[in-house]
Amino acid sequence: MTARQVDNELRKPSFEKNPYERRALQSYVLSTLTVGMAILACFPLFSVILMLLYRGGQRLALTVFYSLPPTAFEDGGGFGNAILGTLFMVGLAGLISIPFGILAAIFLAELGPHRKLSQAARFCAKTLTGLPSILAGVFAYASVVLVMGHYSAWAGGIALSLLMIPIVMLTAEEAIKMVPRGMKEAAYGMGCTPAQAMMKVSLPVAMPGIITGVFLAVARAAGETAPLLFTALFSDYWLEVNQPTASLAVLIYNYSGSPFANLIELAWSASLVLVLLVLVLNIASRLIGQRNK
Amino acid sequence: MKYLSKLMAMLMLMALVFPAVSFADVSLVGSGASFPAPLYTTWFKTFSRENSGVQVSYQSKGSGAGIRDFQNHVVDFGASDAAMTPEEISKVAEGVQLLPMTAGEIVLTYNLEGVSDLKLPRDVYAGIFLGQITKWDDPAIVKANPGVKLPSENIVVVARADSSGTNFNFTQHLCAISKTFKDKVGFGKTVEWPLSQNLIKAPKNDGVAAAIKQTPGAIGYVEFGYAQMAKLPMASLQNKAGKFVAPGLKSGQAALANAVLPENMIVFITDPDGDGSYPMVTYTWMLFYKTYQDKEKVEWIHKLIDYCLYKGQAISDKAGYIPMPETVVKKVAAAAKNIK
Repeated sequence: MTARQVDNELRKPSFEKNPYERRALQSYVLSTLTVGMAILACFPLFSVILMLLYRGGQRLALTVFYSLPPTAFEDGGGFGNAILGTLFMVGLAGLISIPFGILAAIFLAELGPHRKLSQAARFCAKTLTGLPSILAGVFAYASVVLVMGHYSAWAGGIALSLLMIPIVMLTAEEAIKMVPRGMKEAAYGMGCTPAQAMMKVSLPVAMPGIITGVFLAVARAAGETAPLLFTALFSDYWLEVNQPTASLAVLIYNYSGSPFANLIELAWSASLVLVLLVLVLNIASRLIGQRNK
Repeated sequence: MKYLSKLMAMLMLMALVFPAVSFADVSLVGSGASFPAPLYTTWFKTFSRENSGVQVSYQSKGSGAGIRDFQNHVVDFGASDAAMTPEEISKVAEGVQLLPMTAGEIVLTYNLEGVSDLKLPRDVYAGIFLGQITKWDDPAIVKANPGVKLPSENIVVVARADSSGTNFNFTQHLCAISKTFKDKVGFGKTVEWPLSQNLIKAPKNDGVAAAIKQTPGAIGYVEFGYAQMAKLPMASLQNKAGKFVAPGLKSGQAALANAVLPENMIVFITDPDGDGSYPMVTYTWMLFYKTYQDKEKVEWIHKLIDYCLYKGQAISDKAGYIPMPETVVKKVAAAAKNIK
């Protein structure tokens, strides 16, 4: 009689690990699958970064940060104006969307979470996050470009803010909601007004979460091409806020479709710079989030 | 709170500092045709560099988009190589002054390994764009190219995806040389290509040139300068006189000599006469309003037009465009006086 048969007879479970058992095999296969998928999920990012380093790195020199884009017949050149344009428009979009989003989030999370108005606002914000970005561009084209009569950095910033507002608002709402009830109640118990409780307790505690949302929104806005095509257009010159404005995303779009080698190389370098910019922002948001814990 | 206020302060600082980066007093913005864009951007950059107090920028978006921007008054001038139709002109209240600024050839460029000198008879290239000739080793192509080894590959036609003046001129020429094309397809800034497969659409001249470069077996139509810059081979085409002519400065000028500019400055050369004429050449226009509110702007517009007409023509040839004949330049300069 083998050990197994004895076990069966005594109806005692075997505690020995049997790698060929069905359950063990299943567990093994599924675990490997999850690990494999997790590795696969990192793969696109790493392959993109490697490719960008390889193709974009060759052309990356200090001059590209302060030179203007070349015309089709010129060699050299850079995209200093596009970096500046992206920073300005994303900054402007942040100035609009951060106060807007945080104030709305305070209402949604604290003041009237169950009101009809907040439900409607939440629904609208969620719909807006799924809004194709080109529609934000078309909206800003009709409401800003046609009214002002020209393409401008303002219009670009406004189009980008449309994309940032719902992200800031929804993440800030979640962050404020996560503030422990007890802390708020303690504040009220000590005689705080609602404003004091909000400013001194809820917001500071929720700040890492809010900042993460802000940086996520900034990172998304920095990489958007479609809304800028309709609003900021592109420019071969330095930033002037009432004129068409260059941005990294549109530069990449324009130059990567070009048949001219110099412009294609610049598009690669600009992509690398854009990815690094977004990466730095992401890491910064992580650090800020961790330090406050 | 500390972090939020720091962040806000950072953003405010950005907003305050950057608008200060501003140089020119007058800024002229144009958009439109991609056909002359490499030349225009070079002209405008040089002009802006040589003259302090003005900055001219140009965005290549395709002729159709340029006309739309011009009609919407979001630019100071437009550019189109399909000129403008009377209907489009009627939508602009201030009136429109079209000025031809340069001319260029539309070339058929292709991507075939080992083939650098291709001759295409009239019926053949019309047939390719009609979808009747689908293989590179079609007997009609082989017959016209003795001694050239043609692969048995499918022909991939690259056409324009956007509303395009290059498309307008190219289809107008095909209509002039092929009755079937005229009946089946017609001409316009966008057309319904009769090809069901092996058709790629790309935006702007840049996009078409890039698509041809990336696609083995492709053929498409772009401005001469684009093919030259992208180092793509250009086919010699059979002209009205039956001769095979390669695109170039001389054959372009010969073709251009066929056209007489009328009062409204709009003329299309659909199928030029002459032994040495390259069959596809077109003027390309800048679109100006007849009246501008800003007097300073008008002054600079006139200076810019003068620069393009005289100094600018000198570099046209180097960039792959055809300098306009002197008689034409005189006529255009006279017509520019209508802009006030």
